[in-house]
Amino acid sequence: MPLIDRVTRQREWGVGTLLILTLIVVGAVNPAFLSVGNLRDMLVQDVPTVIVACGLTFVIVLGEIDISVGALMGLLATVMGLLTSPSRVHWPVAAGVGVTLLLGAAVGLVNGLLVTGGRMPSIIVTLGMMTVLQGVNQLLLNGQWITDLPPGLRFFGLGTLLGMPVSVWAALIVVLLSVLLAQGTPLGRRLYAAGSNPDAARLAGLPVHGLKLFAFTLTGLLTAVATVVSVPRLSVIESGVGQGFELLVVTCVVVGGTSISGGQGTILGSVVAALLLGLVRPMLIFLRLGVSATYWERAIQGAFILAAVLADHLARRRPRLGART
Amino acid sequence: MTFRALPGRQEIVLLLLLIGVLLLAGRLSPDFLSARAQNELSTHVWELALLALPMTLIILTAGIDLSVGSTMALCAVAFGLYFRAGWPIPVDAGLALLVGAAAGALNGVFVAYVRVHPLIVTLATLAAYRGVAEGVSLGRPFSGFPPGFAVLGQGSLAGLPIPGLIFLAALLVTALLLAFTPLGLWLSAIGYNETAARYSGLAVSRLKFGLYTASGLAAGLAALLFVARRNTAKADIGTGMELDVITAVVLGGTSIFGGRGGLLGTVLGVLLIHETREFVSWQWSRDELNLIVVGALLILSVLADSLLSPRRRQ
Repeated sequence: MPLIDRVTRQREWGVGTLLILTLIVVGAVNPAFLSVGNLRDMLVQDVPTVIVACGLTFVIVLGEIDISVGALMGLLATVMGLLTSPSRVHWPVAAGVGVTLLLGAAVGLVNGLLVTGGRMPSIIVTLGMMTVLQGVNQLLLNGQWITDLPPGLRFFGLGTLLGMPVSVWAALIVVLLSVLLAQGTPLGRRLYAAGSNPDAARLAGLPVHGLKLFAFTLTGLLTAVATVVSVPRLSVIESGVGQGFELLVVTCVVVGGTSISGGQGTILGSVVAALLLGLVRPMLIFLRLGVSATYWERAIQGAFILAAVLADHLARRRPRLGART
Repeated sequence: MTFRALPGRQEIVLLLLLIGVLLLAGRLSPDFLSARAQNELSTHVWELALLALPMTLIILTAGIDLSVGSTMALCAVAFGLYFRAGWPIPVDAGLALLVGAAAGALNGVFVAYVRVHPLIVTLATLAAYRGVAEGVSLGRPFSGFPPGFAVLGQGSLAGLPIPGLIFLAALLVTALLLAFTPLGLWLSAIGYNETAARYSGLAVSRLKFGLYTASGLAAGLAALLFVARRNTAKADIGTGMELDVITAVVLGGTSIFGGRGGLLGTVLGVLLIHETREFVSWQWSRDELNLIVVGALLILSVLADSLLSPRRRQ
């Protein structure tokens, strides 16, 4: 397929081109934007979005949605903080992290069970779950902040391995495993089959319910992973952690080319879109537009989505030149 | 006809739940049911109730509007800006309503004519409208509105709060439209099978465009009520409002897949959420309990509905 066709037809190429163009343009205005330090800071900021977007891509490919990930991240941060903080429960860091991962997976499993066993629409299930998790989180925090995180825990957020932050390693591993799962395993092919035509998949003997349980549980688990490697970067855990995160992740998956009605979409697309949307805030700072510019961050993110959607619409109106590979 | 005018099972369940909550409240704390307390507490519900009307119709067509909270913020900030520019209050209010309708119309263009999934469109404008509100106001609040304007949010007429009367008028207009025109039938036809509705000659795009515009207009009105009640306009108002509204509508028995539902259920859903919340705050003064109760209420009521009627989803 010629390059120009790839760029216009495959979303990860289009978004990737936009990403590189943005890097070049902002870098030309302010070279400090492309310094190793800044690129690393931006990557670290993108880690939680990238990790959760991998799980959510599978959920959306299956034609479902999960909007409870932001509230789940908030609750998991609180639980992790309460369990490991020396002035609270003071468990060993490993135990606290283990419980956090288990709890994340368990909440995802409950979402999946309600969707499959309860035959409920996932947007309702996860909307209700989001509200409940927010309530439990506030109940646990009781209006206070958790400030004394143990150094062992802060290592996950601040430490480096072989010169790269631990959190970036985690994101890299999650992305690689997810791409492998999606493209190289029968499980991945089944996920796409079940998403593009659930009835046909069921008749062909695919365990559609089992696949959905898997995707929801994975998303819960990855939300926990994202919490463990991103929250300890801050020295304080408060009730605002994870607020609005669900919308950011859904946005990344959709901008990355995953169809909201299921069956289509790639991990790489979601990841590239997460990197692109993550550029908005640093871009506004590095273009030196003044302090007030950062107030426009959300407006620009929204405009990016509408632009992606419009571009898609226009591309589809042109006659197809070649088959999509 | 699946658009229901008469109470169905879901409405009766809701009514029983509502009576249960009120009886429990009356037992635990009789003051809660006094007319004065109820009148006082009702100030919190009108914006939610107003937004739930167009949302019911939108969800009936299998659509959704996630941008209502952000549209409220946009309208409030617009109102504040026009006020600061020195225009008279009625002009400010009219322009703010116009901004709301325009924001809704933009959603409508994308949903009805560009034909993008409404979840995506309104997710984008959820970010964009609040972003514009934050951008033009730089996060700063507007205040100092004249006392005459506060009457819109705090005043009462013949013993009834003015926002309540505005809601009742909107409810009446919507109910009459549904009762005396085929609108309800058309909308649920779109929700059941949009392609079939198009082929049978319904003006699907125009209806959808109208609905999203109406939703934006309602958000503008809700923003004015909010600003009049609090006497301040800031870019953070209405945060999370979209989820409260959708919860009320779905709790009221309107199917998120479209086709099934009605206003009566929505009114009961709004009332149930409102009374439950206010009572939990009244009795235990813990707002976080509210979140848990409302979330659990939503999941349990939809779960019960889904388990009691086998195979509806397929």
